[in-house]
Amino acid sequence: MYEEPYRWVEAVGNRRQYLDEQLKQGSPVVALSYADGTLLLTVSRGTPKLYEIYDRIALGGVGHPADLEKLRFSLLEMAHLEGFNRSPSDVTGARMMKLGLAPIIKQAFEEIFKAPFIVKILLAELSLKPGKDTFLTIDYDGTFEETSGCAVLAATKAIQARMVAYLKQAGHAPPLSLDAALALAAKAWALGSLAQAAETEADRKDEKESATPVAQEPDDAALLAHLRDTLADKTLEGAVLERQAPGSSKYRALTGEELASLVPKSAQAPA
Amino acid sequence: MGMQGDFLQLLKEQGYQIGTSVPAGTEVEITRGTTILAMKYRDGVLVAGDRRATAGNMVMYDRTDKVLELDRHSVMAIAGVPATAYEMVRVLEHSFKYYRRTQLQELSFEGKLRAVSKLLKDNVAAALAGTGAVAPIFAGYDFEQSSAKIFFYDILGAEFEGVEYAVSGSGSPTIRGILHYLNTWNGQPLAALPEEEATIQALRLLTCAAEFDSATGGVNHEANLYPVVKLITERGVRTVPDGTLKPLFESKVTRHV
Repeated sequence: MYEEPYRWVEAVGNRRQYLDEQLKQGSPVVALSYADGTLLLTVSRGTPKLYEIYDRIALGGVGHPADLEKLRFSLLEMAHLEGFNRSPSDVTGARMMKLGLAPIIKQAFEEIFKAPFIVKILLAELSLKPGKDTFLTIDYDGTFEETSGCAVLAATKAIQARMVAYLKQAGHAPPLSLDAALALAAKAWALGSLAQAAETEADRKDEKESATPVAQEPDDAALLAHLRDTLADKTLEGAVLERQAPGSSKYRALTGEELASLVPKSAQAPA
Repeated sequence: MGMQGDFLQLLKEQGYQIGTSVPAGTEVEITRGTTILAMKYRDGVLVAGDRRATAGNMVMYDRTDKVLELDRHSVMAIAGVPATAYEMVRVLEHSFKYYRRTQLQELSFEGKLRAVSKLLKDNVAAALAGTGAVAPIFAGYDFEQSSAKIFFYDILGAEFEGVEYAVSGSGSPTIRGILHYLNTWNGQPLAALPEEEATIQALRLLTCAAEFDSATGGVNHEANLYPVVKLITERGVRTVPDGTLKPLFESKVTRHV
């Protein structure tokens, strides 16, 4: 039934709809450079979404855990073989993305008789010198982009753009401390999560026009309140790549105490 | 299958093989590394090695680092053929990382010991041919038992625990007896020595080995060349800086009596 070219195009179009639908409930991922490294933050339930890939590369993902796991393993295999056969400096985020992820994801997306990967992936790469950290994001169809300063994953491109604008407007001019970066990332996460919820609500009511215009972003209090509500049954997950960490591996998962300071005491649920 | 987190297996699937054996009778002077020692001290384990690599009667290199960090809590000290030993260290380093990153937990201390054994076993042909014999010491912090431990291996991969100390390399016969003497009749066992005292003993022992073994490099004062001394405690591996070794050597090792 898909022999004719236009049928194939139609099938790929259907896939986009299917994948958008699958991914709209996903928890956004925020990645951000700070003074001493790179921070990744998300909120997860049960399965972790942030992982160590190589000495200076971390991964954040949105989507189906099994798909994420499969791609994570293929990245790990590639990174470690390359790092062993050549050198750890040859394992770069860009090569992992272009050679390791993009071809596999694109192929799976276009092979319409097989299941696509239900994922969006972000790679954060710590550079040896401050200010040169890079971020790479890839969509379910295999398109990827490289940015610096910050990067996010969320259900739609529009929401991602809003989150990035929010992060940029908060300004990186004086490099942020880890605490400040955490606070900013948490608010950006809440912004993305609220926007996704609003979109789902709008879809449900089928009021497509009213969903788009956003006069003003929600204020800090609203963002923190949303974060606090979400954390009632989910947990904050954070990881850093620290330039000054001893040894070759720079990845470290943030502890519960480090993350707990994010939700101010006043905003926390009464004991 | 990478699912088990076995990096060596992954390498083998790519056609990799550790240690290449050469037919017997190949007459080449092979580079070798020399004296290494590990001993317990009050806070953990001290591992030290001289800096010389020799090929026959020739000194190949006087700045060899024979005490290599595998991860934040374990080191491997190498004696034997450096080409094979460094390769093993690289495989182990990647194996431990690969395991942690795929399985999302650290490889256990016992798992690390087994990994060293397995590599040595794969290397037996080269070891017996004489082109790849390595007899390492593995030391690390075992979180399950809350103590730092020492293990040493023969070239075939047999694993032995060094309860108080372990030595390997051509200069080791000289210092093995001294370690036994120190541990038994020095008033207190090695494991009770504070950090500085243990470091002094390690410097003296390596100086002794250099005195009687031409293949062990002593301390080269003019070139500011000191042995490598690393300390393993619960907090991880730490290298004793040359700035600390130098005054200790001057005041406690040279012409002390």
